[in-house]
Amino acid sequence: MTCSAVDTEKLNRARRQVFLALFIAIAVSLHMLESLLPSPIPWLRLGLANTLALSALYLYDGRAAWTVSLARVGIGALLLGRLFSPGFWLALSGAIVATSVMIIVHRTCGRHLSAIGVSATGAAGHALGQLLTARLLIIQHEAIWQIAPPFLFFTVFSGVLTGWLATLLLERLAQHPAFQTTGGHPLN
Amino acid sequence: MKTPWQIMTKGDWLIVLMLLGIALVGIAWLAVAPTGTRVIVTSGGETCFVADLDRPTSIDLDGPLGKTHLVIDEQGAYVTGSPCPRKICIAMGPAKRAGDLLACVPNRIMVRIEGPAGEDAPYDLLSR
Repeated sequence: MTCSAVDTEKLNRARRQVFLALFIAIAVSLHMLESLLPSPIPWLRLGLANTLALSALYLYDGRAAWTVSLARVGIGALLLGRLFSPGFWLALSGAIVATSVMIIVHRTCGRHLSAIGVSATGAAGHALGQLLTARLLIIQHEAIWQIAPPFLFFTVFSGVLTGWLATLLLERLAQHPAFQTTGGHPLN
Repeated sequence: MKTPWQIMTKGDWLIVLMLLGIALVGIAWLAVAPTGTRVIVTSGGETCFVADLDRPTSIDLDGPLGKTHLVIDEQGAYVTGSPCPRKICIAMGPAKRAGDLLACVPNRIMVRIEGPAGEDAPYDLLSR
């Protein structure tokens, strides 16, 4: 049986939807798991869920990354009962800045960077977005910038970890039949 | 399975080291901040308690959830009891350097330490 061009397009769109739905589901699970784990400081979390947004960016495009990030924050907040709480705004602003930064960095200097570099800048953006929101909404005092350096220090490591995991995931996915037909390695 | 350093490009290293460098400079900066002199407590944005850092004392601070217990002694200022669910303010430990901050977000209590420069101390810390 032969496939017409229209069929391939439809098939790709359906595949994209299925994979993004899976990514969102995994991201929400990781997000919830992390918020249930005890942490010495509430903001210090690994941000493993970002692995999926990063993978969506590399596999598809910026729009896919936005879909995964925003859906993860929204659904995660609903499930944890945190919608519109301070923690929700922190997570949302972190996700928005991180996703924008990752998309811009990926587009402008993606040739010189692997997913790890993109992820590290995204993680720094996440920290910055959270601190800005904390400054505006919660602490409302310049003293909040005191926690920026240790926060940034930690977040770079979590960014590297996330980027590494995303690379491993992308390598696995590249061998998946769904990505054989579209041609090309997702990391390229 | 590739390790991170097998994947990382020169650009990656540049970015990671640059970010770590910025963070380390910031941490060093904070470590040399002078010990503060005044403890200022705000509740819901309004100053409700001011004390000297070198005079040991303790006080119950009223917030929407109940009383947050603040102790000031030679270790600095720290929270020993709080009605908030996650006890993050207690876990933050003592604050004593100028610009240090303890916050109990659920109970709307914020404790900050100011240096000899008074109100401007946090700005000094940023602009120095």
